[in-house]
Amino acid sequence: MSGATATPSLFPLQNGGDPVLLPEHITELTGLDQFGLAGELLATFVAAFIVGNFILAMTGVAGPWAKRKITASFTDRIAVNHLGPGGIGIIIADAVRLLAKENIIPENVDRPAYDLAPIVIAGSAMLGFAVIPMGSGIHLADPEVGLAFVFAVAGIASIGLVMAGYASGNKYSLLGGLRAVAQNVAYEIPLVVTGMSVVLFAGSLQMSTIVDAQQQTLFTIPGLEWAVPAWFALVNPFAFVLFLIANFAEVGRNPFDMPEAPAELIAGYQTEYSSVYFVLVYLGEFLHIFLGGAIIATIFLGGPAGPGPDELGILWFTLKIWGVFFLTQWLRSAVPRVRIDQLIEIGWKGLLVLSFANLGLTAAIVGVIA
Amino acid sequence: MCMRFKLPNVTEMNDWIAIGALALVGVLIPLGMMAVSYLLRPSVPETSKRATYESGEIPTGDTRVRFNIQYYMVALLFLIFDIETVLLFPWAVVYLDAVESDAVSLLEILGPMVLFVTILLVGLAWAWRKGAVQWAQTPRQVETEHNRP
Repeated sequence: MSGATATPSLFPLQNGGDPVLLPEHITELTGLDQFGLAGELLATFVAAFIVGNFILAMTGVAGPWAKRKITASFTDRIAVNHLGPGGIGIIIADAVRLLAKENIIPENVDRPAYDLAPIVIAGSAMLGFAVIPMGSGIHLADPEVGLAFVFAVAGIASIGLVMAGYASGNKYSLLGGLRAVAQNVAYEIPLVVTGMSVVLFAGSLQMSTIVDAQQQTLFTIPGLEWAVPAWFALVNPFAFVLFLIANFAEVGRNPFDMPEAPAELIAGYQTEYSSVYFVLVYLGEFLHIFLGGAIIATIFLGGPAGPGPDELGILWFTLKIWGVFFLTQWLRSAVPRVRIDQLIEIGWKGLLVLSFANLGLTAAIVGVIA
Repeated sequence: MCMRFKLPNVTEMNDWIAIGALALVGVLIPLGMMAVSYLLRPSVPETSKRATYESGEIPTGDTRVRFNIQYYMVALLFLIFDIETVLLFPWAVVYLDAVESDAVSLLEILGPMVLFVTILLVGLAWAWRKGAVQWAQTPRQVETEHNRP
């Protein structure tokens, strides 16, 4: 790096002086840059806090309220409707109820691991959002290895699940944890390999580059003058479907919710968790659904892109990840659960082979077109 | 303002500082929730309450049960294929540039990777034939499977 600046800064604003990432926006807005590095570090922390709470708020709406309402509509019931409009007040009531429960810690648990697992499960999912461009300037960090980072961080959850399953000292928890890991590892490879077919198009792992690559016009609908954007879901629908299926297995949603199959394993790895620990494990699952949705939105659905000005980006982004969440709840009501033996076979014999076929085919097509 | 210490290349670091900040937030939020819960919740210790949950019955046997060998097989296979994906990533990143550069032919870019993936897929086919990706069943399970109407 040449041209030493007078004061060291975390954000040299090399892209024509415009702030791009959220920490830079906050530094500019609050004037924290007067305080040098300390101010910028504070701005970075504030930005991380905003991002963390934004996704926490979304899971807060999804877990106690939206999930019940969606399932109720599918099964022709009413669900929560007493507190507030449409029963939305249940979010606060449930938060208080769950946090005020007695935390019963069974006698056979392995103490440090048992306590750490909920933090690992919830924290790892939250960390994945660091590199996701959510539009309207809400983008915490944009490292060159973005996509690899988000897959790596999402993978940490497996460790948390094993910790929870093993440390609970309950055979059902143990089996639930093992199933969760067998499932995660079986579908991680199709997931990553299919994600790689997007990298072939974009030529980069950086999230902003992947989003930018999808802003070109794929084709224009004749007569209507509608420019259809080159979202990778439209460019390569086969990869999109593969990624969706692998993602549902990865986050342990129906039809792949084997690890906590209530009829077989009580509640799998979360059997022995109560009170705030249960909240955190449950929260972690929802964070993972939304992280999966965020990855899908970013690499297949154009990220925060949508009609209207750029400021609406966050709205479109939220809409897209809620679309994925809605799909998970739809499948929950509509599709029966697969058995553990079917799960392994679908993963290793079906999706893995198909994902490699997709990668080879995409590489050949990119090679011929370019 | 005079800074005594020198940070190594701050432009590349600020992304990771932000990620580190979110990691911190990701730990602090659960800890904060635990603290709130600690203030709110009652504590009524009873011995029977703390028994391991087994559908309300008295737990039988040891927790460390014997489980299906399949989990081990799947973990082994995963290790191989996960390392493969790590090796595929750099290739996928440079692929578009290499195709557009005209310096190398398509066969030179695609060929080695096709060969590499093929070798691994042959390995998968072998594991498939050996039954490593088939859920392991006890002889009795196989028997019931056959006798199923």
